Amino acid sequence: MNQFPTPATQPAPVVAAAEAVIQLTGIEKIYQTKTIETVALNHVNLSIQRGEFVSVMGPSGCGKSTLLSIMGLLDEPTSGTVAIDGRAVTSYSDRELAHLRNHKIGFVFQSYHLINDLSVLDNVELPLLYRSGVSGKERRQRALAALDTVGLGARTRHFPSQLSGGQRQRVAIARALAGRPEIILADEPTGNLDSVMGEEIMDLLLTLNRQQGATIVMVTHDEQQALKTERIIRFFDGSQVN
Amino acid sequence: MIRHLFTLMWNRRRANALLIVEMFLAFVVLFAVGSIGTTLWRNYRQPLGFTYTDVWQLNFTTGQQPRAEQFGTLQQLLARLRSTPGVEEVALSASNTPFSFNDSRSSIEMKDEKGKTKRSINNVNVYNVGPELPKVLGLKVVAGRWFDRSDVASGANPPVVIDERMQRAMYPDGESAVGKMFPFDKKEQRIIGVVSAYRTDGELQEPLSSVLWQILPTDTIFLPQSILLKVRPGSGAALEKQLADDVRRIGPGWSSTIKPLAEMHQSQMKQLLTRPILLGSMSFFLLLNVALGLFGVLWLNISRRRGEIGVRRAMGATAGNISRQVLGEILVLTTFGLGLGLLVAAQFPLLGVFSVQTSVYLTAMVLAAGLLYLLATVCALYPSRLAAGIQPAVALREE
Repeated sequence: MNQFPTPATQPAPVVAAAEAVIQLTGIEKIYQTKTIETVALNHVNLSIQRGEFVSVMGPSGCGKSTLLSIMGLLDEPTSGTVAIDGRAVTSYSDRELAHLRNHKIGFVFQSYHLINDLSVLDNVELPLLYRSGVSGKERRQRALAALDTVGLGARTRHFPSQLSGGQRQRVAIARALAGRPEIILADEPTGNLDSVMGEEIMDLLLTLNRQQGATIVMVTHDEQQALKTERIIRFFDGSQVN
Repeated sequence: MIRHLFTLMWNRRRANALLIVEMFLAFVVLFAVGSIGTTLWRNYRQPLGFTYTDVWQLNFTTGQQPRAEQFGTLQQLLARLRSTPGVEEVALSASNTPFSFNDSRSSIEMKDEKGKTKRSINNVNVYNVGPELPKVLGLKVVAGRWFDRSDVASGANPPVVIDERMQRAMYPDGESAVGKMFPFDKKEQRIIGVVSAYRTDGELQEPLSSVLWQILPTDTIFLPQSILLKVRPGSGAALEKQLADDVRRIGPGWSSTIKPLAEMHQSQMKQLLTRPILLGSMSFFLLLNVALGLFGVLWLNISRRRGEIGVRRAMGATAGNISRQVLGEILVLTTFGLGLGLLVAAQFPLLGVFSVQTSVYLTAMVLAAGLLYLLATVCALYPSRLAAGIQPAVALREE
């Protein structure tokens, strides 16, 4: 796996056990406007172990996606500490956070978020574009390998608009895999798919977890799919509930 | 990344067709303005070959006076002018005086030893001038000599002075023209000297080769009707009135107009610059429109592509990467428009349109391309910063 950077100033303190790949401590997220203060996450403490497949459940607006954004370093908590691989990222610069996202984390979104004007292969290459030292040839090889993994090796020259919803989500998963991340964060990956396609995607994620040891955190509304994962974390009104 | 940018923009070429066309048109306009500007600038930098400070031009008409008497009257007038206090030098000239918009042009045929035409030198400015001209205008003789008394009875080969441009046209290998024969009007003439230049058309006009002949005092066929006067610095309306009165007094029925060359120069510059300035102003407003349009389209694009920007950030792009992405995309679109524009622009030197030097077109192409890239960069700077500032979590949530 790739090494992630430490800030230029002081080395980040090791704040959690080495096995916890993601450690959230006292996380609060408050959205504030002039008149309203909305608490999206309320004092969340959470530890995701290496190789775990965890699902996050809860009603709409309970803070699941916010939690995923904070875990994925796309958003900053109002207070609390996020640690990846035991290192707190609080003081990391934009460049260092981007480096971590690029090397450690793969994202899968409910609405795929593919770039419609790029071919399937170019979409899958995207994370590797932001990684220095990867040649064009290597990028292509890795993207093709990722597409083979999701069973779309024959669709490399297609564009997203030429694919079904399930195929698009497979492309999105291949894109998440291309950078060979340790962590995959999936935000309702089957939310836009019918049950058959949803099962296919779920099977694919389970395979990645079991065969490749990927750590997966999946937000879902589907109880049946959540039951297939090792652990279910439930949220209500921004707080973790048992 | 460059390949990615080109792939993305090529795939979006239909959506961006209007922008590409806009860039293409902007390039063509810049190229046209650049070609004109470069030509004017190059012309301007060439030496005029003379100074016009404190030089007046006196043009006269002879009215109803019989032709036989006109030559005698002219000699009297010249004598009177030379003795006028405030007038330092006097030289006769044909009507193609500096900045007068008059010209007299001819072609010269260079022949080999067997009398066959080797090549033609076209658009040669031909001047008939008095021998005092260097003193009036400060013409600089760079080789040989200027006309003198010995040339009055020069016999079979009348003397001629040429300028350096003419010398280069006649002898491109750098040979001196002094002492050589000048082929003109069946009668060969001997080149006695070379002046640096004599560009009466002014700084902005294309420099042409020049040939100067002497107006002989004994000439009773050609009556020049312009006199160039070197006056004492600070001379003004009083001297002008006195000169006009002298012309009327000496020449019965004669009339005259007197103008300082500096004034004529200013007037010529105004006239010659009017069209380029108009064209430049129109181009400026056109480019301003292009810039505003470009800015608007880019701004709109950013707000439409917030989701894509969020995804790129999620995939590991830094804010700087996003900023460079937006900037890179517009530069790629500019390159597409520029490519089309260069195809059109290249036809001008290839087909030799307007007889302009290839180097002028090349300079204009480089200038136009540089300005277009600069325009695109300036227009993309703020939108690119906006794009870089988009919060990925917010952008992805909005999608």
